[in-house]
Amino acid sequence: MLDHAITLLPELWVALGQTLTMLGIGMLAAVLLGGPLGVLLFLVTEGQSLHNRPAALLLGWLVNTVRSFPFIILLVALVPFTRLVAGTSIGPLAASVPLSIAAVAYFARLVEQTLKEVPRGVIEAAHAMGASEWQIVARVLLVEARPGLVLAATVLSISFLSYSAVAGVVGGGGIGDLAIRYGYYRFETDVMVITVAVLLALVQTIQFAGTRIARQIDRR
Amino acid sequence: MSDYLIELRQVSKAFALPRGGRFHALREVSLQIGAGEVFGLIGKSGAGKSTLLRLINLLERPDQGSVTVDGRVLTALSKRQLREARQHIGMIFQQFNLLQNASVFDNVAFPLRLHATREAQVTARVLECLDLVGLADKAHSYPARLSGGQQQRVAIARALATRPAVLLCDEPTSALDPGTTRALLDTLRRINRELGVTIVIVSHELSVLGAICDRVAVIEDGVIAEQFALAETGTVRKTALGRELAYHRHERAAIWQEQVHA
Repeated sequence: MLDHAITLLPELWVALGQTLTMLGIGMLAAVLLGGPLGVLLFLVTEGQSLHNRPAALLLGWLVNTVRSFPFIILLVALVPFTRLVAGTSIGPLAASVPLSIAAVAYFARLVEQTLKEVPRGVIEAAHAMGASEWQIVARVLLVEARPGLVLAATVLSISFLSYSAVAGVVGGGGIGDLAIRYGYYRFETDVMVITVAVLLALVQTIQFAGTRIARQIDRR
Repeated sequence: MSDYLIELRQVSKAFALPRGGRFHALREVSLQIGAGEVFGLIGKSGAGKSTLLRLINLLERPDQGSVTVDGRVLTALSKRQLREARQHIGMIFQQFNLLQNASVFDNVAFPLRLHATREAQVTARVLECLDLVGLADKAHSYPARLSGGQQQRVAIARALATRPAVLLCDEPTSALDPGTTRALLDTLRRINRELGVTIVIVSHELSVLGAICDRVAVIEDGVIAEQFALAETGTVRKTALGRELAYHRHERAAIWQEQVHA
C-alpha cells in the first residue's frame, strides 16, 4: 500500500499545487472584490451613513442570487463565461473563475456581518470629528473589525478548500479530483485516505493560523 | 453677527416611529450659548436634551431652523465644509467611543491625522493633550486596559486635540462611579477655565449639572421649559427640575468651602 502511495507522490504534489492555485485565486478575488462589496453592502443599509434603499436591495439581491446556487450548479452554469475569461473550461485556472465568483459573494456577506459588530457610537464619534466616509472605512471600520475579518477569511478559505475539491468533478484538477479519480472510481482506498489526510492537515493549519492571527491583533 | 458662540434658531426635529407616525423630539427651539460658558441641558429621558446637543454639530440634522457655531451657519454648509467645521467642535460620549484596536496615542492622534497634520506635530500635540488629562504615561496602553474614568479622559484628550472652541458632552459621567465623576467634572471645569473652551453638557444627574454649569436649560416635551443662570437664586423656578437644582447649587458651595479649608 505504501509503495503504491509513493508512486503517486508526484501526482499528489501537482494536485496540491492545483488546489492551492484555486484557493489562492479565489481568496484574492474575495478580498479584492468581495471586501469592498461587503463594505458597500454595510454602508448602504438602514442607519448607516450611505443609506440607500434601492442600492441595498439591488446589492443584496445580487449577492443572494449567486449564493443560492449549489456550487456544482454554478460551476456548470458559468461554463460559457469561464470559456470567455479563461479560454477553456477545464483545469484549475478555469475552475478558479466560478470559484472566485462564489467567493466574492460569500465574502461580501461575511464582511457585512462582521462590520455590523463595530459599535455605532465609535462610527458616530468619527463623524463628529469630521471624518469622511472613506476615512471612516479605512480608519474605523477596518481597524475595529480587523480580528473579525481575519476570522471571516479563515472560514471562507476552509469552505473554498472543499469547493475546490468539487471543481475536480468537472476537470478542475486538485486534490478532490485525485480523490475521485483514484479513490472513488478505481476503489484505491489508500489514495482516498491520503487525500483526506492532506485536506485535513490543510484545514487544521488554516484554522490554527487564522485563530492565532485574529487573537494577536485583537486589543479589545 | 451675534455675540453668541452657539446659536440655534427655531430648530425642530421629528423622528419616524417604527410603527408609523412621527415623534416630535424638538419643536421650534431657540437657544443661545455665549463663549466661555458651561451650559447644561437637563430633562427626563426622551425629553429631547440629547437630540438638542447632537443638533449643535449636526450629528442630527434639524428638519427646520438654523444652527450657527463660531460664526458659521452649519446648516448651510456643504458636506466637505461641515467636516472642516466639525474639527472645531469636540464631543465626548457616555460610552467613551474610543477605538478599541488603537492605542491611547493613536486614539488622540485620530482627529489630527484626519486632516493631514504633520506627524511631528501630531506627536507633540497628542502628548500635550494626554498631559492635560493626566494620562501621559498611558500613551501606549489600549483602552481595554484602562478604567472607565481613564477612558473618558482619553476621549477628552481626543476631543481637545484639534483645539476646538466648543466641547459637547453627552452624558459624560453616566457610566462612571461618583468619585470618578467628581474628578472628571474637575477636569472639565479646568479645561473651561484654563483653555476657555465653551462646554455644553447633557446629563440627567442634577448633581453633575449643579457642580459645573453656569447656566442651565430644562427641556420638557421637546421645548425649553425654562433656562436660568445657576448663580441667580432670586428668580422663581418654574419646573420641578429647576427647583431641585437650587439644592445642588448649595451642595456645590459646600464642596468649594471644603476645598478652600483643606
